[in-house]
Amino acid sequence: MKTLLSIFLATILAFSFTSCDRTLDINEDPLAATSANPNAVLPFVFAEYSARKTTELGTRTCDVYQYYSNTFNSPKGGSISSFLTGNTWAVWYTNLLGNLVLVEQDAAAAGETSNNIQAVAKIMKGHLFFELTSIWGDVPFTEALDGVEYPTPNFDSQETVLEGVVTLMDEAMDLIDAMPSTGNFDFSSGDLIFNGDINRWRELANSIKIRTLMLIRNVNASESNAETRLATAFTEATVSSPVFLKYEGTSTATNAYFDIIKQFLGPSNEDPSNGLPFGPAPALLNFLNANNDPRANLWINNPSLPAADYGTFPSGTTEAIFSDNLLRADYPDIYFLPSEIDLYRAELILDGVLTGNAQTAFEDGVRYAVNYWGGNIDGFSGTAVSATDVDAFITGLGTVSLQKIHEQLWLEAFLRPVVAWNTVRRTGTPALSPPPGAAITTILKRFDYPPDEVAANPNTPANPDTDTPMWFEDL
Amino acid sequence: MKRIILLATLSFFAISCLIAQRTVTGKVTDDSGEGLPGVNVVIKGTTTGVTTDLDGNYRISVEDGTTLIFSYVGFESQKIEIGSRTSIDVGMSGAIELQEVVVTAAAIEREKRSIGYGISQVDGEELTVARETNIVSALQGKTTGVIVNNSSGNPGGSSQVIIRGITSLAGNNNPLWVVDGIPIFNDQTVTGSRISGNRDTFNGAAVINPDDVESMSILKGAAATALYGSRAAAGAIIVTTKKGKINKGGPQVAVNSTFRVDELFRVPDMQYEFAGGAFAKYDSSVVANAFGSRINGQLVNNHLGEQVELKAHKKNYKDFYETGKTFINNIAIADANERGDYRFSVTSLNQDGVLPGASLDRLTVSMNAGVKHNDWLNTRFGIQYISSDVEGTGAQGANDLNIIGWTTFTPTTDFNLFKPWIDESGNQINNIVGSNNPFWTRFENINRREDDRMIASLTQVVTPVENVNITSRIGYDYNVDRRLLTNRVGTITALTGTFTVDNFIREQFNWDLIADYSTKFGDISLSALGGYNFNSRETRQETLEASDLAIPELFTPSASQTVVPTRDFVKVALQGAYAQIDLRYKNWLTLTLTGRNDWASTLPENNRSYFYPSVSTAFVFTDALNIGNDIFSFGKLRASWAEVGNFANAYALNFRFFPESVADGQYGLDLNFPFLGQLGFNKTNIIPNQALLPEEQTSIEVGTELGFFNGRLSADLTYFKSSNKNQIINQPIPESTGFGFRTANAAELVTSGIELRFDAQILNGDFKWKTIVNYSTNDIKVKDLGSEFTVLPGASAFNSVQIVARDGGSLEILGIPYLRDSLSGRPIIDPSTGRRQAGEATFLGEIFPSVAWGWTNQLSYKGITLSVTVDGKIGGKIKSASVEGLWDGGFTSETAINRQGTFIDREGIIVIDNGDGTFTRRDNDVPVRSTADFWETLSNNSVTEHSIFDADFIKLREIGISYSFPKSILSNLPFTTVQVGVEGRNLALLYSKVPHIDPEANLFGAGSAGFGVERNNVPSTRSYGVNLRLVF
Repeated sequence: MKTLLSIFLATILAFSFTSCDRTLDINEDPLAATSANPNAVLPFVFAEYSARKTTELGTRTCDVYQYYSNTFNSPKGGSISSFLTGNTWAVWYTNLLGNLVLVEQDAAAAGETSNNIQAVAKIMKGHLFFELTSIWGDVPFTEALDGVEYPTPNFDSQETVLEGVVTLMDEAMDLIDAMPSTGNFDFSSGDLIFNGDINRWRELANSIKIRTLMLIRNVNASESNAETRLATAFTEATVSSPVFLKYEGTSTATNAYFDIIKQFLGPSNEDPSNGLPFGPAPALLNFLNANNDPRANLWINNPSLPAADYGTFPSGTTEAIFSDNLLRADYPDIYFLPSEIDLYRAELILDGVLTGNAQTAFEDGVRYAVNYWGGNIDGFSGTAVSATDVDAFITGLGTVSLQKIHEQLWLEAFLRPVVAWNTVRRTGTPALSPPPGAAITTILKRFDYPPDEVAANPNTPANPDTDTPMWFEDL
Repeated sequence: MKRIILLATLSFFAISCLIAQRTVTGKVTDDSGEGLPGVNVVIKGTTTGVTTDLDGNYRISVEDGTTLIFSYVGFESQKIEIGSRTSIDVGMSGAIELQEVVVTAAAIEREKRSIGYGISQVDGEELTVARETNIVSALQGKTTGVIVNNSSGNPGGSSQVIIRGITSLAGNNNPLWVVDGIPIFNDQTVTGSRISGNRDTFNGAAVINPDDVESMSILKGAAATALYGSRAAAGAIIVTTKKGKINKGGPQVAVNSTFRVDELFRVPDMQYEFAGGAFAKYDSSVVANAFGSRINGQLVNNHLGEQVELKAHKKNYKDFYETGKTFINNIAIADANERGDYRFSVTSLNQDGVLPGASLDRLTVSMNAGVKHNDWLNTRFGIQYISSDVEGTGAQGANDLNIIGWTTFTPTTDFNLFKPWIDESGNQINNIVGSNNPFWTRFENINRREDDRMIASLTQVVTPVENVNITSRIGYDYNVDRRLLTNRVGTITALTGTFTVDNFIREQFNWDLIADYSTKFGDISLSALGGYNFNSRETRQETLEASDLAIPELFTPSASQTVVPTRDFVKVALQGAYAQIDLRYKNWLTLTLTGRNDWASTLPENNRSYFYPSVSTAFVFTDALNIGNDIFSFGKLRASWAEVGNFANAYALNFRFFPESVADGQYGLDLNFPFLGQLGFNKTNIIPNQALLPEEQTSIEVGTELGFFNGRLSADLTYFKSSNKNQIINQPIPESTGFGFRTANAAELVTSGIELRFDAQILNGDFKWKTIVNYSTNDIKVKDLGSEFTVLPGASAFNSVQIVARDGGSLEILGIPYLRDSLSGRPIIDPSTGRRQAGEATFLGEIFPSVAWGWTNQLSYKGITLSVTVDGKIGGKIKSASVEGLWDGGFTSETAINRQGTFIDREGIIVIDNGDGTFTRRDNDVPVRSTADFWETLSNNSVTEHSIFDADFIKLREIGISYSFPKSILSNLPFTTVQVGVEGRNLALLYSKVPHIDPEANLFGAGSAGFGVERNNVPSTRSYGVNLRLVF
């Protein structure tokens, strides 16, 4: 009996020790962090950016500016799916900019040894805002990303946003210039683009600044001082080699232009067992053929075949389709190529903003662009274009003109969603028409605002028609 | 201490020897003259006494002149002066009505008449009329105030019970399940997505074995669950398992064996006039489309390239679905005596489902034993071990080629040609483009869950002095849940093979320490109890997803090119202190006060203590006013008021960065981390709230219980209203702030309704007939949401519907309707195509049913009993993506009408804008391109209106007929009971507005807050079989 009583009392006593308040202090998730090292957050930003950009914007809008003859769920007819606009907006603002702002704030608080991180964050921020305004026009910028101060951000005009991007680039370059000589934060592991080479980031900042000023200049060159600023920018270093995110080509690091084929259509674009392949739009194919452009053979399986009608997929045997060399697993996600800067230089020389030889700049740009596809590119397989053929092609293009520069800008931006769309809208070259049966009168000019933002933010402006030109088009 | 007691006892004996003492013996019998074991024989004025043995005999030492008191539950107590006798036989007669006793919170038994809130009790026998493999489903139609949602016909599928409506927008709407005083897990987690290929597997409470259940109490309102505090804000279900009972012939052995056959409950009304294909042309390679040519015996090439006569293969789904079989076998050994009791039971459940390759095998071993060590110490020990193996769970939803929906069964496909499905080299044999051989997905792709569960409890009750008990109850629930999902190399859309290993370990530890005291002074009885509770729950998950398998059927990470491992961990703990005071005046007025204080780990440290009171009262006015008579024999009024809270989920307070394993893109084209060798961390998308408060529920309840004709007819009516404030919701905020949501306390959910139960023993002679009606209503209102609507967590089902809480409304479906003319309400037709058009997203009806009812009739004549239950729901909506698919593909008979003629959508209207503000309207006269075009474009632009139906239904739920062999036959056999029976469950759909499918289906599964959506759910089944019960 005594034993039983002792057991009972002991049991009670043992468990009474669990009644301390400390046992309730367990509300910390052991598998998550409360602050983030830039080397951990930046890889997420870079990978998520490319993943979403290539799939949502890349595979879906590639026929808006008529590289592809047709693609799935495209907005080229003027109607934007709520997922296309909603996903892009959500990822850009919450996944990418939201993280970058935290990295930037942490770096600013850490002092000048984190200038490099702060600069990288600003450059990526500017780049993303550039894309946001390129897609939607007026977007939240000055009041964005501060839910405490601005719970319902107001939308800024495109001019404000683009000027803000230029300012961000200038601030980033200033930070880089003010870096101490030693003791800088090592972000080489988290930097998936440049592996920590801050000089290349400065080049990229300057180049994005030029790209942005080209849009501002289109509207009011003199008032905005755009041309003076361009002239200054061209005296500083710009991108000298391709800027891209590398894809290893494994099943979980595959470029989406190819992955969409592999998952849904068949082993490759030239061998689609489950559906029709992707092919060039008539505008693209005819233009390449008209100039005997060597890129035709690199991009297209059989450029002598006619292109499918715009708005339809090619038949695969009687119509031209894209080659497997182009749409392949390890094709990188390109941010910037030096050829874009060269072509801008040529344009500005022709317009008298810069001094120099427009023809040389033009030819440099075209040569780089063609060579890039013919060999510079990571993982290229196939026959490179010989130097003689490139020279012949360039000679064939003749004397530089604004029209030719604009045409080459369109080709130079191949497979790069926002850049291609911007150049077509800014220059009006080539002259493109919307597909048959479209609800709009010109090619698509913008996306609708996403339903979630409209629902949560009463300051969202009413949706303009999707063929309303952008401010930078100056129409 | 012990020596003092010993000394005192010896002294007493010494002294007592001086007093004239003698021994009295005798036999206590009942009405029929049978000896009554366990009768208390007590010397009046003392606590000294004995109990009668198994034959009713007793022996007691008494002094002269004492009075003995004989007492036994259910019988009138007898006081007998012994006088000078040495042998006293006593006959006990049952004159008083047994006071119904129910089990309430904290495993306290109370008399029903003194309870001030509504409480339902379901007996174990009601659960075994036609056994369900998920005990939650067995509650359907049997009790008021609950809605039971079955998810699908998957063996081992989940089932959800919601008590008195939805009270938490955060999704904490599942009641607390308590088994023998121990709270257990009722989690239902999915591997992968709840909508893309959802493999619905059972919820935690499904392992409770109906054969081991003595009774279940459903505690509905906050007053009932007040002692459980925040964990039971959505109600509680208290399960009491069977214990050993005193049995004259020694241990009682009961054997129960059931064999049942399962078949498809409802099949769509398929058309067999037109072949598979599109544009009125036969095409053997097209899937999910039956708009091919008319079937006329023409020669065509089938999907294997053979030339055959085109003919309809009617009901070809029968060549795919199998007849299911279920075996349930149970053996239980139980015994008891004055010192203790035990019951040991083993049950095996083996079920093959109608879906080929699907099965559930469950073994339950349980032991419930109690020991009465002495007058002041009692121990009870219980342990259950349940091992479940689920194989071949069917996939539901969309975006997964393992899903077999009704649109797989094209009218002209001969399913026998799909066998064999694999060749000697392990390749899939299939000639359908873009889809897998259905037998391949069933037999080559693994969908397995192995679940081991142990629930153990140890209760010790100390009675140091009379009327005081101290109880210590420790419970432990341990669960290891291991899942494997594979796509064999060669499965289309996973050609290189994939596998997912998902392992969970869940542990729950619970300790209750309760002291209770009861006393009586004059007409007033007082019971008081105070208790302390500690509960901790921990879940650990480890998942491995791999693809690109080097060797088919070798599911190991080292043989896979891509491996993504993830981990998850949640631990929460709760401490509570509670008290209850029960005051009773005479026998007819009771006042109960309770209070509980909870401290939760998931709330902020400086603000984690909350106090929840309740008051309830019961007034038996027939006794008080003495107006009871033979006609109106019992009348009781009851009322209660209670406050309780509902706590936040774990880790909701901190700002977190999560290691991501995937950088996702559109169409599932994702990049994985590590990417280029680096990890990626992503900030949370929900701004946490450091000052989060628990949800606060205030509920009131009034009711009455009325009895007529001395209990032959009784009615129980309740009205309740519960207001749930400070809902913890993730409010959507503009994404341009960098975040998508903010956790906040906002919104109020008000639920109210009535519950009516009506019992009538209509005939009570040789032929007995009892009828029971349950009727419950429920109304849910959402207020103060702060935005127009919010999506319930986990309740988004593809682009066409979301289940939302609407401010100023209820829980509703948000979807896209047809563009309708404001004047006539008819759909506006596009004159250039003849088709309907899409309108703006709008709210398309409330999903929660407003009425649930059940009607049971029990008839018996001599040894035969018949029990029939019909139940139904009124109100609520269901979106059926399966019906949408059937229409879209031309599978059902309504799509075969007028296929080859001109088709004009007669319901439509054409509206022309005259440009001057007026409109011209005319009936639609624009034909569509073809009848097929009409059906195919009904869901264009994500319109979902046509596939949302009223979810009202009436079902013949179960019939059970059993025959108990009479004693005359049994006396020659070694058995005390032999019972044979025939049973059937889910027998017929008597009324439904949903065409082609079972209206009771839920895509999301029991662990989600959402329901009202069905998409390719595994079809539910009807089952019937036989049952044999032997007791010896």
